[in-house]
Amino acid sequence: MKLNIEGLLVYFPYDYIYPEQYSYMLELKRTLDAKGHGVLEMPSGTGKTISLLSLIVAYQKAYPLEVTKLVYCSRTVPEIEKVVEELRKLMDYYAKQTGVKNDFLALALSSRKNLCIHPEVSSLRFGKEVDGKCHSLTASYIRAQHHSNPSQPVCQFFEEFDAVGRQVPIPPGIYNLDDLKDFGRRKGWCPYFLARYAILHANIVVYSYHYLLDPKIADLVSKELAKKSVVVFDEAHNIDNVCIDSMSVNITRRTLDRCQTNVETLQNTISRIKETDAAKLREEYRRLVEGLKEANVARETDIYLSNPVLPDEILQEAVPGSIRTAEHFVGFIKRFLEYLKARLRIHHVVQESAPQFLKDIYEKVCIDRKPLRFCAERLRSLLRTLEIADIADFSAITLISHFATLVSTYSKGFTIIIEPFEDRTPTIANPVLHFSCMDPSIAIKPVFGRFQSVIITSGTLSPLDIYPRILDFRPVTMASFTMTLARTCLCPLIVGRGNDQVAMTSKFETREDFAVIRNYGNLLLEMSAIVPDGIVAFFTSYIYMENIVASWYEQGILENIQRNKLIFIETQDAAETSMALEKYQEACENGRGAILLSVARGKVSEGIDFVHHFGRAVIMFGVPYVYTQSRILKARLEYLRDQFQIRENDFLTFDAMRHAAQCVGRAIRGKTDYGLMIFADKRYARADKRGKLPRWIQEHLTDGSLNLTIDETVQLSKHFLRQMAQPFRRVTTRTFLSLFNDLNQA
Amino acid sequence: MGARTDKWRSGIKQIIIIIMDDQGCPRCKTTKYRNPSLKLMVNVCGHTLCESCVEMLFVRGSGNCVQCNTPLRKSNFRVQLFEDPAIDKEVEIRKKVLKIYNKREFDFYTLKEYNDYLEQVEDIVFNLTNNIDVERTKQMMEQYQRDNKDIIQRNKAKLTREQEELEELLLQEQQGSEQRRLETLQEEQRQLQAKRKNKQALLDELEISKLPAAVLLAQHKDRASQLETQIEKQKQNVKPANIFSTGIMMGQTVSLASVSRVEEVLYVYQPLCIDTYGPPVPELDQLGRLGYLNHVRTASPQDQAGGYTSGLACHRAVQDAFSGLFPS
Repeated sequence: MKLNIEGLLVYFPYDYIYPEQYSYMLELKRTLDAKGHGVLEMPSGTGKTISLLSLIVAYQKAYPLEVTKLVYCSRTVPEIEKVVEELRKLMDYYAKQTGVKNDFLALALSSRKNLCIHPEVSSLRFGKEVDGKCHSLTASYIRAQHHSNPSQPVCQFFEEFDAVGRQVPIPPGIYNLDDLKDFGRRKGWCPYFLARYAILHANIVVYSYHYLLDPKIADLVSKELAKKSVVVFDEAHNIDNVCIDSMSVNITRRTLDRCQTNVETLQNTISRIKETDAAKLREEYRRLVEGLKEANVARETDIYLSNPVLPDEILQEAVPGSIRTAEHFVGFIKRFLEYLKARLRIHHVVQESAPQFLKDIYEKVCIDRKPLRFCAERLRSLLRTLEIADIADFSAITLISHFATLVSTYSKGFTIIIEPFEDRTPTIANPVLHFSCMDPSIAIKPVFGRFQSVIITSGTLSPLDIYPRILDFRPVTMASFTMTLARTCLCPLIVGRGNDQVAMTSKFETREDFAVIRNYGNLLLEMSAIVPDGIVAFFTSYIYMENIVASWYEQGILENIQRNKLIFIETQDAAETSMALEKYQEACENGRGAILLSVARGKVSEGIDFVHHFGRAVIMFGVPYVYTQSRILKARLEYLRDQFQIRENDFLTFDAMRHAAQCVGRAIRGKTDYGLMIFADKRYARADKRGKLPRWIQEHLTDGSLNLTIDETVQLSKHFLRQMAQPFRRVTTRTFLSLFNDLNQA
Repeated sequence: MGARTDKWRSGIKQIIIIIMDDQGCPRCKTTKYRNPSLKLMVNVCGHTLCESCVEMLFVRGSGNCVQCNTPLRKSNFRVQLFEDPAIDKEVEIRKKVLKIYNKREFDFYTLKEYNDYLEQVEDIVFNLTNNIDVERTKQMMEQYQRDNKDIIQRNKAKLTREQEELEELLLQEQQGSEQRRLETLQEEQRQLQAKRKNKQALLDELEISKLPAAVLLAQHKDRASQLETQIEKQKQNVKPANIFSTGIMMGQTVSLASVSRVEEVLYVYQPLCIDTYGPPVPELDQLGRLGYLNHVRTASPQDQAGGYTSGLACHRAVQDAFSGLFPS
């Protein structure tokens, strides 16, 4: 189908388009026209991805000088693959319609673990091992050694790529991870480095958030992307947490012990090299004295060790004299390490800001701010000089050096919290130093600054205005789209009371209340009797779920539920959970139906879709507030209040509601799908909570569906399910859609 | 099973703690684990002894180190801060050295010189800690101290620039948090007062008014909710609007319309006109012709170099004289 969107010819690979897709494209085009940033919300299952792709590709084709590249960031590998498949469909459609052979280059990029084809390296199980092994085969000095000593093993795929791969551009086309591997195998080139090299001139790049947001990775991968790129963050409702995680550092006693061994290794290596090859150290020293930047040519493979974001003017400066020679630097690291060890030997919680920390460190071990700032850079240089191949072992010392650099670079937006033990186990000493980032805008600022358009989009972004505030940017468009439906296929209900009129809530004071737990049990029991196929129930936390399930068992509720459906439980163990999930789906396929008990913010709530009969009802037991007693959270809330004028309660409610919306949104994954959304807490009925739900859910919340009892819920659900059970004819939607199309084309 | 794993885990932790507390006195072999109140001490040589051993061995105030035979004084024993006593020693030395080598960055012309100086300091510390060339290094230090006496004296009180920055940041932080604390305290008090007043008003009304209690209660509820919204609004008002990264205030729309024209008469300069109420004052160029210049000292060549002419002084004197006239 061809569309005319404000004068832009857009090819859309489907025969029908939903009105909301049309308006989504419209907003998107305006954002691109304005060369600004946008925040767009559209429910999942309405074809967000294809709308995005077809509009931006059309824009690229129409104005090749205005938008040179699309960078599409997604969260997981399956999602990346899905995007590439949609793109393939679109490009095929283009080729069919225009008759011109596709000249676009689009590719997916992932970690070495997913792209490596070296038989030995790719058989390793963990990402870190793969990276380390790869580094030990491809680092520039290893390759230099290989020249003089051919028995030194190197990766022949990389050698091949390095020899010819750069001159021959990868032919245009759509490459997902498997395609890249195939291509690499055919040519004998390393797909990972090929992809990393090819993103520089690709038209479309699909990769994970971290390649842009994590400063340690972004520096290597995305450094040279052009300003005229459009960046899309899909499923971005958690983007602030990703930003924060990428800048935070946690240091435990174990990290320090490992770091200690690293330091010893360094020391030994230095003294060994001094005896055998002192010229090497002298050469490094000379370079540092002259403040020369490393020549970046042919160093592509070394940058596994990278430094966190630093202001450029510091990088231009020479390394301070006190850490110039290798011995001095090792001594410096040792002092820093001992200082950290001493700090971790505490009996009460300490919270301080970065300046306080720096002052204390100067008083205790005479470490200035400046050498600290250069710590990561200096360590990188040293490791390279010492030619230590097995870099994976040095993760601890690298982490410490990153911490040193970050703590001395940023005086604001970070806090240091040292806890002697975990909250749950106050008797067991397990000291942790959290260097916690509180300001997500620090990590994402370079992205907004560098690219002309950044689009943040997801199915659940409400309330929209909070994202620009916490990420500190100025969007030109903010829009929330709802779903147009041929039939009301979602039915949100807020259950506030049990049949005995006791209020149902997971509020802290009443969560242990016997009546509340019984009512929750009754609700699940009643629903299990009337809902066909699968039911997914979400609790607020693992502990709460354990408590409730235990007392349901004692009350015999569990047994009654099991008469209707099988019960599966999500646990903290990933393998167990995926097993439970598999069996749950099997039970749903068998027609008997099943119940999956899981936890908001858990694995199930974030990445797993329950299409059609896998999820006919979602029950949200309680409001999924984050654990408010955590000190890191408290510090962050305080920071938000001071810097962004966002009150604690507003943020907590916002956070709880986005997770609740994320959970209940799992059931509706398309327009032919249908499902009940039951919010079992009386607090959902309040305007401040209800108002923070996405618009497409709010629209279906009538006054009649607030504060219901269990009986009323059952009645409404029965009615809804009976309606949905009527044969659904595509014709109704079709007439509606073609009518819309006529209007549009006229 | 859960209980068992927990037990197992705590056992592991216990072991870890034992390993962590493995530090002990090398002489009497007491460890931190066996005696939690054990205090380890360290002296300039960087060897550890526990407090009671120090008391015992150094009763006379001085003695030799058990491990390296260095003569030590009892008063120089410090509590060991770090796990590695060598670090304690190094920090001790470093502090001493930094007292003498206290040049700041602005004492140097180039950054390179400063960096070389830093490295030199680091070398000295390194040598002293690792007992390399101790005598020579000490001599060097003394020499330096003699040569740079006044600089050392002068820099004693000065902080480095970075430390100054840090102090400033800390001060800001303190002030900020103090101010915020006060603000929130005041705000809370104000709200509390308002609520109390409201409550009292209800009680009074219930006492005096003739209206039925239900109506009064409803009124009160209404008022309370109004108060709530007011407080809510105040909270939003008090806080200053946040500024976007672009420097544009949040929530403010940028108007691109041209600024409206102001319809006013522009200011026009009018030369000052003073009425002296007497005969007209002679102009500068008339002075010579009218003979005024005959009565003043002629300007010497030195005076004229700066642009002085006798006419200038004469003109001023004449002006002074004429403006002193008043009409009778």
